[in-house]
Amino acid sequence: MNAFDRLALPIQKWIRDQGWSELRDIQARTVHAILDSERDLIVAASTAGGKTEAAFLPLVSKLVGEGRSPGSGFDLVYIGPLKALINDQQRRLEEMCRNTELDVHPWHGDVSGSIKKRARTAPGGILLITPESLEALFVRRGLEIRQLFGRASAIVIDELHTFLDSERGVQLRSLLARLELATGRRVRRIGLSATLGDMELAKDFLRPGHATEVDLLEATGDGSDLLIQLRGYVSGKRVAPEDDSAQEEHEPPGSAEVEIARHLFSKLRGSNNLVFAGSRGQVELLANRLREACERSSLPQEFYPHHASLSKDHREFVEQRLKDGVLPTTAICTSTLELGIDIGDVACVAQVGAPYTVASLRQRLGRSGRRADQPAVLRQYAIETEIDAKSHFADQLRLGLVRSIAMIELLLERWCESPRPDALHLSTLVHQILSVIAERGGASATRLFATLCKAGPFTGIDAATFAEVLRVLGSPEAALIEQGVDDLLLLGRTGERLVEHHSFFAVFMTPEEYRLVSEGRDLGTIPIDNVMAPGMALIFSGRRWEVVDVDDTARIIQVKPSKGGVPPRFGGDAGDIDDRITMRMHEVYRSEHVPIYLDSRARDLLVEARAGFAALGLDERRLIAIGETTDLVATRAGTATTRALALMLRAFGFMVTPFDGFLEVARNRIETTTLDALRTIADGEEPDMFDSGPTLLFEKFHPYLTPDLLRRDALSSKLDVSRARYVAAEIVNRL
Amino acid sequence: MPEIRARDRDSIIQALRAGVVPRVGLQHVQVGRAREVEELVKDVERISDGGAAIRFIIGEYGSGKTFFINLVRLVALEKGLVVMSADLAPDRRLHATGGQARALYAELARNMSTRTKPEGGALASVVERFVGKAQQDAEAKGIQTGQHIRTLLDHFQELVGGYDFAEVIRKYWEGHETGDDDLKTAALRWLRGEFSTKTDARNALGVRTFVDDASVYDHLKLMSAFVRAAGYKGLLISIDEMVNIFKLTSSQARSANYEQILRILNDVLQGGAAHLGFVMGGTPEFLLNTRRGLYSYEALQSRLAENSFAREGLVDISGPIVRLANLTQEDLYVLLGNIRRIMQVGVPDEALTGFMTHCSQRIGEAYFRTPRNTVTAFVNMLAVLEQNPGTSWQDLIGGVDVAVDTGDDMSDIVDVIPASPGDDDLSKFHL
Repeated sequence: MNAFDRLALPIQKWIRDQGWSELRDIQARTVHAILDSERDLIVAASTAGGKTEAAFLPLVSKLVGEGRSPGSGFDLVYIGPLKALINDQQRRLEEMCRNTELDVHPWHGDVSGSIKKRARTAPGGILLITPESLEALFVRRGLEIRQLFGRASAIVIDELHTFLDSERGVQLRSLLARLELATGRRVRRIGLSATLGDMELAKDFLRPGHATEVDLLEATGDGSDLLIQLRGYVSGKRVAPEDDSAQEEHEPPGSAEVEIARHLFSKLRGSNNLVFAGSRGQVELLANRLREACERSSLPQEFYPHHASLSKDHREFVEQRLKDGVLPTTAICTSTLELGIDIGDVACVAQVGAPYTVASLRQRLGRSGRRADQPAVLRQYAIETEIDAKSHFADQLRLGLVRSIAMIELLLERWCESPRPDALHLSTLVHQILSVIAERGGASATRLFATLCKAGPFTGIDAATFAEVLRVLGSPEAALIEQGVDDLLLLGRTGERLVEHHSFFAVFMTPEEYRLVSEGRDLGTIPIDNVMAPGMALIFSGRRWEVVDVDDTARIIQVKPSKGGVPPRFGGDAGDIDDRITMRMHEVYRSEHVPIYLDSRARDLLVEARAGFAALGLDERRLIAIGETTDLVATRAGTATTRALALMLRAFGFMVTPFDGFLEVARNRIETTTLDALRTIADGEEPDMFDSGPTLLFEKFHPYLTPDLLRRDALSSKLDVSRARYVAAEIVNRL
Repeated sequence: MPEIRARDRDSIIQALRAGVVPRVGLQHVQVGRAREVEELVKDVERISDGGAAIRFIIGEYGSGKTFFINLVRLVALEKGLVVMSADLAPDRRLHATGGQARALYAELARNMSTRTKPEGGALASVVERFVGKAQQDAEAKGIQTGQHIRTLLDHFQELVGGYDFAEVIRKYWEGHETGDDDLKTAALRWLRGEFSTKTDARNALGVRTFVDDASVYDHLKLMSAFVRAAGYKGLLISIDEMVNIFKLTSSQARSANYEQILRILNDVLQGGAAHLGFVMGGTPEFLLNTRRGLYSYEALQSRLAENSFAREGLVDISGPIVRLANLTQEDLYVLLGNIRRIMQVGVPDEALTGFMTHCSQRIGEAYFRTPRNTVTAFVNMLAVLEQNPGTSWQDLIGGVDVAVDTGDDMSDIVDVIPASPGDDDLSKFHL
């Protein structure tokens, strides 16, 4: 029997009404897979590949056949990462279910209370919900979970790939485990995902520990088109003034930004777009340039900045404009604002400066080209500086450009960062502890441990660590939990306050930018998402600054101007970059291949980068003296490893500036050579890398943990000590 | 001691084995606490005489609160009172806005018991008795029964919500007269708090209100007036597991519940209620914790503060707080003796002392603070002895395992708990 005939009549009618001549291959295969068994399933296809229909056609058909009575629990649960996506799916599913008497209930922060109440009092049909709203249901209506979800025949998780490596993904896994505990039965899980190179990751995410029991269906050869251009720009050159704008002649050397703004203006105007542009300062600068360009041309304003420091009203205004889709709108946002911007459907994604992770690049790109006839468009802008013989190695190597290339290459290969299996996720654990206590109105330590660490995703945490975390939360200063006489753990004063506030439900947070202060003078703000400690240096507005002190809670980094050679014009930005990306960068340097998506300037820059790489002899050597007291260490490893090595070297007294896969090590204060230090590190006898109080607060509940727990959390996720030792040994042995 | 009826014996043993308090035959098990019982008996008498009373029974987990409350319940039933009882739970509270207070009322009404129906479900017979009595009186006076019922219910209208209450009782009578069973059922459902919308109530009974979250206490007062009119002496409300208020996550919800308790307390102690009594059971935490317990509510703390002269062995149990002292070694010995007598298993007295020694070695002095688990273990041991003639108690005692009593019921996630509890020590976790 073919797939179409196996569907229920109302569904068949809907398909005919759509004017589809036949089901797509992936849809037909999914229909069979879902109707034939009760196994977990992942459907992998590109955006607009018809995944949602593939899953829901047979699932809804099954329900139609069973003739369930309404009001006794949701039949299907759909979990989507964005509100905008849920609104979109609601329209499509309501169409599909029109003749089936199945209700479709959207449920997220923007859905009105009356709609939610109706869904809650007469639960049935399909529930479309975000992980955060599901969390809210657990916290606020813990007792109703069994009734609401007890009958669900399947949970569909959309955009599964966006959950793989994030706090949010851990939260979702925990919620799924808790859902099954509360309802007392296994619920079938169906994941809809972009095609990834390594689908095992997605399988293991969907049913942790039982990846072999998950079936996988991959779409073959379909997919919407992907248009990519990487444009190179060189700053420091003057550009010819544009028409009457005399002021641009006085623009500082950052003329590359002017050119980029001009290009964005010409390409993006008239459609809906997202532009990611680094820090808040850069976002404002770029938005201002684009706004002025609109005014000069007497055109209506359609470029708006969007970042966490702006008022909620303003951000909502921008999001609403994008959602309405009536007036063309481009939002310019910070690179760190990944999930904070809830927009699902744009024509083009532009990115100024290299992204940090391929996963987030894919996620951003996934917001464009969602319609079947539209290609996904990525415009990548790389800004590099003029170089001469005296230029800093980071500029000579064109690190930003090469990283962009490496990332796009990996994106095209469908590669994706994999989560570290041993990561502790202590911040998310704290969140879930509070949530389980609120759900049940009190829980014993044994129950919490069984729920979260045995059934849930926190399998890396043993009973001793768990008890330690509980003790920290129960300390009078934290007051997140307290204990009744019967040993039941309850929410403490602070815990109650946190849980009652609606901001509790989201476990991810938009990282606060750190303020840089030099001798009482504010230099500006930069986003920091990796470990920074005194003795390390960072590059800000074209200068090198040595970190003197970090204040995690006030988010202030005290710096002083640093001597030691010409600083690089760019570089030193801190994001979590995977080992695989730096390895690929190394391959890009060594290969001759020129990717076709580069514009002519970018091609020239790539040639320069390769020349610089060869001149330094980096394809063979990994420890190079580049100044009298300055060495260059090529770690060829990602941020976790490079940062760990930087922290260790810093503990010897070196001043260390980390780059992508490189460390610049200055020994102006001590006698030890870099080589000796590396040898000591390889032997595992280096001084304490945490001696100077580095920044360790990255996630929402980190401020409540002790330094010891924070260190263990950082070692399990942000720093890779054993690989750093291995790299040190490799470098030492090579010499 | 009176002879134990075979039916009582079985149900006592069943209950003890399951670790719950038997509903009947408590006098066969009861030990100690003579003064507390005496005080509560006085309360029951006060209620029958038209007074009101409120008591908070405070004791540790498993210390016998529920047992004690059930004992009071039985006394009250014997004295001709009607008893409504329920446990608080996360979805049954004194005050709520999401139907949880109505759920408590519904539970109370379902568990309404009288002397002839001690195991609950007596609402129908109470209403029936009211109607029957009205009929008799009317015949004696030579007037219409309907007219007489109207007169009887007249003074209900002075109470909050009394008009509709009286109307519902009249509807019941109407159904009784005309043989309309649907109408009778609807009236009973209304009285049990099972209506949840105005429309339903109006369609079924023509009244515009129903028992909702805000009117639970008013309806309890109406119910006490009604049981009086039906010829009972008064109404005793027993609410156990008050610790559930303590466990509420939202501080606003906790305050609202304590406010409700304050209202009841004021009413009772100021004489605003008649023929009405409350017995509430909770742990010391529930009472004393100044952040989330009763004492967190300033107005209640000053009213419930314990007599500061009653210390160092001096007691004052006339206040609203009754603290259940822990059982002593002697009490426990008598208790085990009672159980032996009920189960009619022939073991020597040394077995009792041997068992107690074993328990105190196994889990320390906590075992006699919480008799529940000790009793369960003892009943189990006797059951094995009874069914396996030839086994000696000495052999069994080594294998007796008494668990420590904790508040969290883990049965729903038992699958994921590690098989050997040795690898984590979280069960004894303390902050």
